[in-house]
Amino acid sequence: MSLPRLKSVKKIWQEMTNFGRIGLLILLLLIFMALAASHLTWHPHNVSSGPPLAPPGKAHLLGTDELGVDLWAQICYGARVSLIVGLGTALMAGAGGGIVGTFAAYRGGVIDRLLMRLIDIMLVMPSLPVMIVLAAFMGSNIRNIILVLVLFSWSHPARIMRAQVLSLKEQGYIKMARVYGGSDLYIIFRHLLPELFPIVAVSMIRLASMAIVAESSLAFLGLGDPTSRSWGLIINHALNFSGIYFTPFWQWWLFYPWLFLTLLVISLAFLGRDLERIADPRMAKGL
Amino acid sequence: MISRSYFKQKGLLSLLLILLMLPLIAIGGCGGGAPASGPDALPAAKEIPREALTISLEGGDWGYPSPFTHYPRGPGIFKMQLIFDSLLERAEDGYIPWLAESWEVSEDGKTYLFNLRQGVKWHDGKDLTADDVVFSVNYYREHPPVSIFFGGILLDEKHVLEVSAVSRYQVRFVTAAPNATFLPAVGSARIIPRHIWERVDNPREFLAPEAVIGSGPYRLIDYSKEHGKYRFEDFDAFWGPRQRVDVIEFVPVSDPVLAFEKGEIDLIEDLSPDLLHRFQNNPEFSIRENPGFWGFRLRFNFERNKLFQNKALRQAMAYAINRQELVEKIARGAAIQGNPGILPPQHVWYNPAVPKYEHNIERAKDLLEQLKQANLSFTLLVGQDREVRIGELLKEQLAETGIQLNVESVDMKSRDARIREGQYELALVGHGGWGGDADYLRTRFAGEKRDWFSGTPGYNNPLVNELGRRQFAEVVENKRRELIFELQQELAQDVPEIPLYYTTGYSVYRPGKYDGWIYMFDHHFLSHSKLSFLER
Repeated sequence: MSLPRLKSVKKIWQEMTNFGRIGLLILLLLIFMALAASHLTWHPHNVSSGPPLAPPGKAHLLGTDELGVDLWAQICYGARVSLIVGLGTALMAGAGGGIVGTFAAYRGGVIDRLLMRLIDIMLVMPSLPVMIVLAAFMGSNIRNIILVLVLFSWSHPARIMRAQVLSLKEQGYIKMARVYGGSDLYIIFRHLLPELFPIVAVSMIRLASMAIVAESSLAFLGLGDPTSRSWGLIINHALNFSGIYFTPFWQWWLFYPWLFLTLLVISLAFLGRDLERIADPRMAKGL
Repeated sequence: MISRSYFKQKGLLSLLLILLMLPLIAIGGCGGGAPASGPDALPAAKEIPREALTISLEGGDWGYPSPFTHYPRGPGIFKMQLIFDSLLERAEDGYIPWLAESWEVSEDGKTYLFNLRQGVKWHDGKDLTADDVVFSVNYYREHPPVSIFFGGILLDEKHVLEVSAVSRYQVRFVTAAPNATFLPAVGSARIIPRHIWERVDNPREFLAPEAVIGSGPYRLIDYSKEHGKYRFEDFDAFWGPRQRVDVIEFVPVSDPVLAFEKGEIDLIEDLSPDLLHRFQNNPEFSIRENPGFWGFRLRFNFERNKLFQNKALRQAMAYAINRQELVEKIARGAAIQGNPGILPPQHVWYNPAVPKYEHNIERAKDLLEQLKQANLSFTLLVGQDREVRIGELLKEQLAETGIQLNVESVDMKSRDARIREGQYELALVGHGGWGGDADYLRTRFAGEKRDWFSGTPGYNNPLVNELGRRQFAEVVENKRRELIFELQQELAQDVPEIPLYYTTGYSVYRPGKYDGWIYMFDHHFLSHSKLSFLER
């Protein structure tokens, strides 16, 4: 029952499968795209810069939408929204859920039981319908969407963390550290966190992927931030165009945002699967 | 063993319960959506002969089609009108006699005598008489219906002094002053059966099957709120022209074009020019361009933001907004740009001589300089989908003159409600009715009544008020026309709102299946015309 410690980047790279490596590369590429959006695009992403519905070509790499806004620029800037939502949700839910799980397991007793029941409740609640209702009530901007997503996704990492901490707590060296007078915080930070980090990282990647799809779903349903220009919103606008499938316009207006969204989610899935295997070979076998 | 027999019992009990519930579930499945109406209470669907013609149209929930419970927009109004008749009816060229066979107006223009058609039956078999007409008007005064045309003049007790039944089939209206809109106003009021409504105190909550008993050519057979489905069948004892269409169905569709091609619906009413090629040069289809009587307008709330009181700002915005770009990009060319004089170019009383405010950034900037106000920023309330795109384009266009626009998107019904309550700064709203009587210039800009459709909060222009009042009272058509022209001139100068564009779009149908479609003289959709379904 020993968990691998944090490994060096090089070692992780070596242990990854080719799929995992491709996933990581695509992800890095997309992150680069989002960060360097202003340098990669030569058209504005929020105002029109060409004729409406121009097909992909020299002037507009991926064509334009019906207002004449460059799609490549929209997709580059839209990557920011997707990544912020994905990363933000993953970090907050991963960290928050991790803390709750660790705390529950470490303290045990009534607090543990209370928290576990809360987690059970969160797990059985259907997230998308509730998200739709909350998004409609709270108003839709990126901050609210991240908050709603966090609210519905912290329970998974919390559960995983609790299970891990429960088994770690019984390890000899931890007991020893406690006997020698190590404080709770010392034990958590010095001994537990390094062991747990890989597992949290894996669950965070899953969360990110879930959050990105959820944000796109909300945007697609028209509940996203109508001015955020995320990928889901581009898809939403394209599908609202009357009879888009009967026109050639879907071949760029609908296809490219879909392609990038799919790439992002697939790359996260590949990466997550590999990291999971590396972090805990047992988990990968079980899945 | 006790526990086991208990479970056995419980199992039996639940089986029984399920058996009991089955018929309920079945009823619920096919039942109407109106809370108070069981489907068994609706008139039974009659046997339709083989060759009966069923026309299917795009569905959607527009409310229970009684005059008090439908949603106040075109699709809701016209469904109600299939069931309820009025004294006059709108045809291709104007009003035609309907429940009223003829009418006389006194010399002084103040007294109207309507001669009702005899032998008109309600759907429940009772006779429609002058009593019902008098009752309807009095009932509406107490309980205004959802849609009141012509600013509610009929309900104004200061104007309509007396409504009385002179004989079983004659109704007399005595008014305080001659008025141009009185005849169409009386003519459009839906007549409701006295024997049903006199017992109803709260018509907005009256959702029983009796609420949809009218005298019109069609009866409501089924309504499902959740699915947005309606089914109307012809009324055998209808007094008037025979129904050419036996059954009118409204079915939910995800994509109208796809549904039309698959034959699920029989009419597309808002076809984008991008898809026109699919139906052109094919004798199977008939294509008609809709008249531009459905428009989008940008409304100012003068109460919410005092800056709008400044004419230069409003004119600057009119110059800054490129309406032609909106027509090309959002409507894909199938629209006519908004006229600052409000009335659309196809309106019979359109004044072509008003200022046009052609797109001109420099003029807009000059006007804004007079304002000496830096950092102009407004919130624009819009609906969804296409309206968000209009909002984005307006934001882009106004940004060129330094006006910042924040687009706030809510669903259509919330937007309408917020306009009614005055909860907006700038609002974008689209609706039909632009082809109607020009008196709407008064109800929009000089009227007292305020709903999502009429009124402009905080706007007060003495000249507009004066012209509005005068045209209202003018019965000589040429003089009234002059006043309306003058009014358009003043409105275009003053810009109390900015009409953005009037959509045209195309209607497509299969003449082989049904070709009776007509446009009413002032309306943009074929299916909204009652006469479209009747013999002529």
